[in-house]
Amino acid sequence: MLKSAFESIGRVTSFGAKALRDAWLPPFEGEYLLKEFYEIGVGSFLLVVAAGFALGVVMTLHTRSTLVQFGATAEIPVFQSLAFFNEIGPLVTGLLVAGRVGAGNGAQLANMRATEQIDAIEAFSVSSFKLLVVTRVIACTIMLPLLTIFMDVAGILGGFISEHVASHLSWTLYLQRAFDGVALANFVPPTLKTAVFGYLIATISCFYGYTTNEGSDGVRKAATNSVVISSLVIILADVILVKCIFFLFPDQAI
Amino acid sequence: MSDNGSRGGQDNAAIAFERVDKGFNGRKVLDKVSFSVARGEALCILGRSGTGKSVTLKLMIGLLKADGGRVLVEGEDMATLDEDRLAKIRRKMGFLFQSAALFDSFSLNQNLALPLHRLDRTKSRDEIKHAVAETLRQVGLEKDGEKMPVELSGGMQKRAGLARALVLKPEILLVDEPSSGLDRITAGEIDDLLMKVKTEWHTTMVIVTHDIHGARKIGDKFAVLDEGRLLAFGTPEELDDKQDNRLRQFISER
Repeated sequence: MLKSAFESIGRVTSFGAKALRDAWLPPFEGEYLLKEFYEIGVGSFLLVVAAGFALGVVMTLHTRSTLVQFGATAEIPVFQSLAFFNEIGPLVTGLLVAGRVGAGNGAQLANMRATEQIDAIEAFSVSSFKLLVVTRVIACTIMLPLLTIFMDVAGILGGFISEHVASHLSWTLYLQRAFDGVALANFVPPTLKTAVFGYLIATISCFYGYTTNEGSDGVRKAATNSVVISSLVIILADVILVKCIFFLFPDQAI
Repeated sequence: MSDNGSRGGQDNAAIAFERVDKGFNGRKVLDKVSFSVARGEALCILGRSGTGKSVTLKLMIGLLKADGGRVLVEGEDMATLDEDRLAKIRRKMGFLFQSAALFDSFSLNQNLALPLHRLDRTKSRDEIKHAVAETLRQVGLEKDGEKMPVELSGGMQKRAGLARALVLKPEILLVDEPSSGLDRITAGEIDDLLMKVKTEWHTTMVIVTHDIHGARKIGDKFAVLDEGRLLAFGTPEELDDKQDNRLRQFISER
């Protein structure tokens, strides 16, 4: 069991390293890359923005009920922005994309394997790995930080509307309070860490889809494993990345 | 018995198998199989499911590598070719997969254009468009170019798969189970298309089939595989003359 787990980790790592290496080698499959940018970015946009907005509203409702006891409701906007920039935005975006894109990649590639579409690509002397895996890895790695920014904005907007309904706080004052004391280091490193989440989600989901060979059962397993394993791995990776950010930007670790 | 394929005229052979072995997970699928296919000849490979018929086709186009022996296409050993030479050989080959293997996220036009874009760098966009339309017309799908594979019936998918295999005007056409999953009439239409290709283009064909009726219509020679070994090889008339009950099970029309 343990041996099998280590073997799987080794195979996924080698698969991901190959994707990383091949990303710098021609042909660059620009047309298919754009298709993946659209599929991942535009396809996930509404989901991310809606989730961010709803989370922003709920977060503010919870924070207000606690802070009102201490007369510290003026701190709600900055709590909201820091929570979203540092953790909620990056992690929730990662989990949402792991669910949507991870399952899609796993199921689609496993289906392409089962229906010999991958063999057909290879029969035309086209590298199916470059066409199907590398394009998805690049697109997911680049789109995750962008989607995270949209999640952050939607969260802050949701928080403002919730706060405005409760206390009639103006948008200008809300923004002023939200960004008061927020440094660039609170925003840039946590947003950039989602590029690692994107790389992990695409690598893991493509690995399970591309390497399966079990027909329709393989499609089911690939979709399930893609979501479960990539969600778990990005949470574990988050722990390491947060530690790294604290090491590089000690002011954040207060 | 497995070594009784046609050795005569191997110099003129489009494809030659020389004592080819292939196995998966310790199970031998092909055991020292030898035969050759002359240029312009149509060879039908018959046999029960799981006897290595489709594997034989995948060895011919280099999607699989033999464990032992040699697979020669146009005199080139498929196991020793680098990517460029493999692409040159594949440029001369078309492959109709059992499931048609159309790329389900591409329209028919895009499915047919892909091999032209990748394997025929001499054609302009307009020439590619013209070649795609002309090939779709030949299989009776001239009005369906913008359709997605999911919008087509099983027979239309097979015809579209055949069109994709033919779009490069291949010298060698590999066909995996052209009639599987089709009714008798539709299967007959596919057989007629293959006959047309054979007579008009003098294309070398290797057809894996269970349909002895279609095989007798198209095949110049039969190769019968049984438990990984070549049970018989020769013209249909030669095989009809053999007094072998096991062989009769495969080549009898009843």
